[in-house]
Amino acid sequence: MNYNILTYCIYLPIIAVIMVKVGWLFYTNGEVFLLHLYKQDETIVKPINNLLLIGYYLTNLGYAIITVAYWEHIQSIPEILSTLSAHLGIIIIGLAILHYNNVLCLNYLVKSKRILQ
Amino acid sequence: MENSKIIIGYLIYLPIVIILTIYVSKMLFKNGKYFMRDIFKGQEDIALATNKLFEIGFYLINIGWALLILKISYSSKNEMSTQTLIELLSMKIGGFSIYLGVMLFLNLFFFFRGRRKSRQNIKTVSKTPIYDVRNEQLK
Repeated sequence: MNYNILTYCIYLPIIAVIMVKVGWLFYTNGEVFLLHLYKQDETIVKPINNLLLIGYYLTNLGYAIITVAYWEHIQSIPEILSTLSAHLGIIIIGLAILHYNNVLCLNYLVKSKRILQ
Repeated sequence: MENSKIIIGYLIYLPIVIILTIYVSKMLFKNGKYFMRDIFKGQEDIALATNKLFEIGFYLINIGWALLILKISYSSKNEMSTQTLIELLSMKIGGFSIYLGVMLFLNLFFFFRGRRKSRQNIKTVSKTPIYDVRNEQLK
């Protein structure tokens, strides 16, 4: 068992748990915004929300898995920790940027809706 | 058996990819039914038939693409290590997953477009009165 495989075994569960948890939070809280945008039309909001959640999982988990292919060679246990934290950090910061972008978009949409009405 | 690792790779790759495709398209078109009903304005039979046809197209494109990118090319004198196998597989499966996500968003975009188009037609042809919740509450 070399160190690289060990690192992958630690990395993948951590990232999967973070992604699933974050996605679930977006799913439950984003529904309120969507309901507001579609004038409380429950039948169309549920499908939209479900599909957005699945798309989010697919693209993000896909990206998280792809980074494994470009991992540097690991020789010692301290290196496991340092590379693990570096890779996790990049992905979590990316998620944060996407999240703020999303919030800004939603804010913009809700505001423009209010002006139209 | 110098190629056994590659065969193991294929055997891991294929079930994951096919199950992922089937699951995603099942979910997509279970939720797509509501959009189709909106687009075809309650003509249930046409909506369901169109939905089914889209679903079959989605299966065909995605499973076809998955099979097309199956080949793992590894040219080296030494035997492939487990680490290399994991890295190659992550590249394939992650790439396919992102591709599937993009296809899903594309389909969602088409649904939105169709829905908007059919809404526009309603407005121009028959001028249905718009029910406003806010005014109702004010009274």
